[in-house]
Amino acid sequence: MFTLILSIFVLGILGFVFAALLGYAADYFKLEEDPRLQAIIKILPGTNCGACGSASCHNFAERLIKGEVQVSGCVAGGAEVAEKLAKFMGVEGLVVHKKLAIIHCGATEKQRKKKANYNGVKTCQAADLVDDGGLFCAYACLGYGDCYCVCPFDAIRMHEGLPIIGRDKCTACGKCVEACPRKIISLRLFAKPYVIACSSRDPGAYVRKICPVGCIACKICEKEAPELFKVIDNLAVIDYTISDIDGDKAVEKCPTKCILKF
Amino acid sequence: MELFGIFFAAFLINNILLIRFIALCSFFGVSTKLDTSVGMSSAVIFVMTISSAISWILYHFILAPFHLEFLRTATFILVIAGLVQLEELYLKKMIPHLYRAMGIYLPLITTNCAILAVAFLAIDYRYNFLQAMVYSLGVSFGYSLAIVLFAYIRERMALAPIPKWFQGYPIAFITAALMSLAFLGFTGMFGL
Repeated sequence: MFTLILSIFVLGILGFVFAALLGYAADYFKLEEDPRLQAIIKILPGTNCGACGSASCHNFAERLIKGEVQVSGCVAGGAEVAEKLAKFMGVEGLVVHKKLAIIHCGATEKQRKKKANYNGVKTCQAADLVDDGGLFCAYACLGYGDCYCVCPFDAIRMHEGLPIIGRDKCTACGKCVEACPRKIISLRLFAKPYVIACSSRDPGAYVRKICPVGCIACKICEKEAPELFKVIDNLAVIDYTISDIDGDKAVEKCPTKCILKF
Repeated sequence: MELFGIFFAAFLINNILLIRFIALCSFFGVSTKLDTSVGMSSAVIFVMTISSAISWILYHFILAPFHLEFLRTATFILVIAGLVQLEELYLKKMIPHLYRAMGIYLPLITTNCAILAVAFLAIDYRYNFLQAMVYSLGVSFGYSLAIVLFAYIRERMALAPIPKWFQGYPIAFITAALMSLAFLGFTGMFGL
């Protein structure tokens, strides 16, 4: 019993001494820190995603004070954080467009035509290496959800073998763009409501055979709204620099419905 | 001569990494590049010497008189963790250059088993204070020698045409085993 009390006593004293020493040292060796630093860190999302190019949110805040990065530099925070930072740092006249990740494939698992059964490791990265993952279309989403796995913001969910990006959660950090082995995810400005849900550069006749929702390069959209749509390399492309032209008719007339409107 | 013997035994003959196989996590973790291994070993030399001094004093003047030897694990961990924090605060303010050079490795050392092992071994060998100091210096220099040599080899290995199934950790473990065999050759030197 005596040993028990003694050991509690000794360890307690030791712990107390070290705590007191550390507390005193923390005060004595205190570094003068810019008071703005903590305020900026509070504004930042704090996920340390690294999409801005800085190592962490702390690092970004330090560089912001030094003037090395812009207030709009935080990719994950988007317009909201940029606005708050601009207000805090006294920067005016800032326009920030919200960017979103967009998946350029609209074929669900049933719609993708298979030439073989892929039984390997269930990741897009692995499936892409083996004869296009058993799909006829070399541009189709493989549907194993590599993008879903890397998304740090929980913005992607899988539905019928297709990733669906939640617009309010997506911060355009670009992790999914990197993760996709087929390179069919891109970051686009939210201001434009049209999306081409296909990346196939195969000739139209071939696409028609293998996919019910692929772009067959029929050029109907180009006829309806020539400023907005262009067919390049057998694929319709949207000119994202034009925002005021109405392309609804083209969306309606698209025979395979591969142009989506948000 | 006796102190030299202690130093040399700790430095080469009972090298903490290659003969005793303690602190292997940092040995494999930070030895991919030469400069990280140098940073880690400088931090180890620094922390190991100071923490073994403090823990020797605590053991012999507080724990031993009260017959509380069984508390040494808890006490030494407390000492090491507290000390690393203290050193970090001190270096940050007083010697920022050294602080930046050691960087992340200083807090990493809190969980390095070699530091705790040296504090234990210096007591198990019944060394006096001076001997314990020389011993911990020897161990920490031995740690630095092994990890720096290993980092040199791993930098070369990064460029070597290693078969795919050996790349990364497998070849690193094989290399470490061969280095360990080479260090076994020091056994029996100077009659130690």
